[in-house]
Amino acid sequence: MNAPRTPLLSVTDLEVTFHVHGHAVSAVAGVSFEIYEGETLGLVGESGCGKSTTGKALMRIVEPSKGTVELEGVNITKESGKALRSARTRMQMIFQDPISSLNPRRRVKDIVAEPLDCWKTVTGVERDKLISDLLSKVGIDPSVYGNRYARQFSGGQCQRISIARSLAMRPKLLICDEMVSALDVSVQAQILNLLEDLKAEYGLTLLFIAHDLAVVKNVSDRVAVMYLGKICEIGPADTLYESPAHPYTEFLLGAALEADPDSPINAQVLQGEPPSPMNPPSGCRFRTRCPNATQRCADEEPLPQEVAPNHMVSCHYPLTIHHKSTTPTVLEG
Amino acid sequence: MSDDKLLLVKDLTTTFATAGGDLTAVAHVSFDLDRNETLGIVGESGSGKTVLSRTIMGLQPRVNTTVTGSSVIDGFEVVGASEKEKRTIWGTEVAMVFQDPMTSLNPVMRIGKQIDEGLRVRLGMNRKDAKARAIELLELVGIPSPVERYSAYPGQLSGGMRQRVVIAIALACSPKLLMADEPTTGLDVTIQAQILNLLDELKERLKMSVILVTHDLGVVATRTSRIVVMYAGRIVETGTTRDVFYHHRMPYTRALLESSPKVSNESHTRLVTIPGRPPNLLNLSPGCSFAPRCTYATDQCHTERPELQPSVEPGHAFACWNPLPVNAEATLP
Repeated sequence: MNAPRTPLLSVTDLEVTFHVHGHAVSAVAGVSFEIYEGETLGLVGESGCGKSTTGKALMRIVEPSKGTVELEGVNITKESGKALRSARTRMQMIFQDPISSLNPRRRVKDIVAEPLDCWKTVTGVERDKLISDLLSKVGIDPSVYGNRYARQFSGGQCQRISIARSLAMRPKLLICDEMVSALDVSVQAQILNLLEDLKAEYGLTLLFIAHDLAVVKNVSDRVAVMYLGKICEIGPADTLYESPAHPYTEFLLGAALEADPDSPINAQVLQGEPPSPMNPPSGCRFRTRCPNATQRCADEEPLPQEVAPNHMVSCHYPLTIHHKSTTPTVLEG
Repeated sequence: MSDDKLLLVKDLTTTFATAGGDLTAVAHVSFDLDRNETLGIVGESGSGKTVLSRTIMGLQPRVNTTVTGSSVIDGFEVVGASEKEKRTIWGTEVAMVFQDPMTSLNPVMRIGKQIDEGLRVRLGMNRKDAKARAIELLELVGIPSPVERYSAYPGQLSGGMRQRVVIAIALACSPKLLMADEPTTGLDVTIQAQILNLLDELKERLKMSVILVTHDLGVVATRTSRIVVMYAGRIVETGTTRDVFYHHRMPYTRALLESSPKVSNESHTRLVTIPGRPPNLLNLSPGCSFAPRCTYATDQCHTERPELQPSVEPGHAFACWNPLPVNAEATLP
């Protein structure tokens, strides 16, 4: 993608630490990335890797304990009160569970109107017109469904309403946290296509957080892979999927199931489970499950290094990059 | 060999009496299963796949439920059998791995006791033998340090480990048929690969048959020999896995395949969508249930229900008035 190279959002060394029963759990442990205007950054990882917490920390729904988040040059982590609220209108979040993220006892048009009514940006006839417009854009007929309650809608329709609500303030950045994972494939495809259309129409920039590798690749220009609170690899979607440089990414892609009877079954799957973030391994966080780990991985934390244009990996022994190959690497058993 | 089928399902229908009227969740389903075979049942939510799998083994709710037809597991007719009779086959002939490993275990009972239960009640083992066998089973399903884990509570185990325990319970009395209802939904991709490999391996080792019920085409693509595709409570297409993926005749099957994003596709590939959403089972049209969403639908589709008819390949059948042409070699990208 030839997105202009001005970061809309820059995240530097973001950390989020939760305190659970007197223990410090670092859910996000020093994450830095940029999102450029008009692009979609996918954030993938398994449960507990901190991808949702990262998304929430950007909006300060959870407080970051360290690091900075800059949206269009404004440091969100420093702002408070009115300035923070106003910065938040420029980024909106869409949550995983479409049904519980809408108040079941409110009417659809009131849900979509809420941000407008808070900020009084438009009022009266103009407001009603904007709401009708938003609902039609997401495929919900405002004259038929506008007065219905949120509880009367299916999951896919609720997700459409959530999208309409998030667009009401004309945000620059949309943070989508597992927004299609609760939907059936046929409905998921509708929502993903809708998101791509609206992105083009509204000039949106997206942070797309999900665990489904195929879904993330489908919508993203660049993809970041998280493991245990850190980004282990970030790069252009097509090249990262074609030739991952981090062993974890390779395992993750190897485990993804393709709806194709001829796709190979990888005999070698990643063994074990991620260690507890309460007591993360020293050095590289993946070393306890990595087949290539050495003493150096335990002693020294790998720093991000560029292995191909815009393709950064945090690994002492990155895998060889081979682009434009006919077959992606398959781990032999 | 037809007399040696492990499972024979004929005209199985499950109807629930609800406040809104009779709801037919499974309608006139017939199929069979060989010994040591893996069959996939695929469908979106509400397609009746879970109700079907439960009805096959007689686990449907006792009240407000009518079951007609027949389901014969290794010579035992499940439909119409009393609870007491059914208990003689549960565990030893057929066992189920339930969807949610978080809720299908008793949280206040040690996992060892939960495995023992079946062994002692069904096989009449004494305490000591049952414990030894339970530890063997924990080892079989790949739980590290099984002797210590025997006295762990479910809350002390991760989701993947709990699913292994659920599989151990199902295998306790060496069933000939293992029903796995969405066994990996909610698990991470790398854990999903571990569990699916485990099921494959156990199937071969214990010479079982497996029915894999899932919404995920990726799960069934490489793990099954035959597939049943369900829509609105009926089988709409069935055949070998390759025939269903590559030579499907029913437009719904194609739409389902095309609407799922694939890892091998380039990013920003436009997804093919199915308009609308699955029908309300209380209010089904007399014709094909998929007709309202089908691009090929004609008047006949809306008024007359298509029955399953054989396609050219042996064992391949579909229910459609306007099937895709025989040589529609998969145009899947």
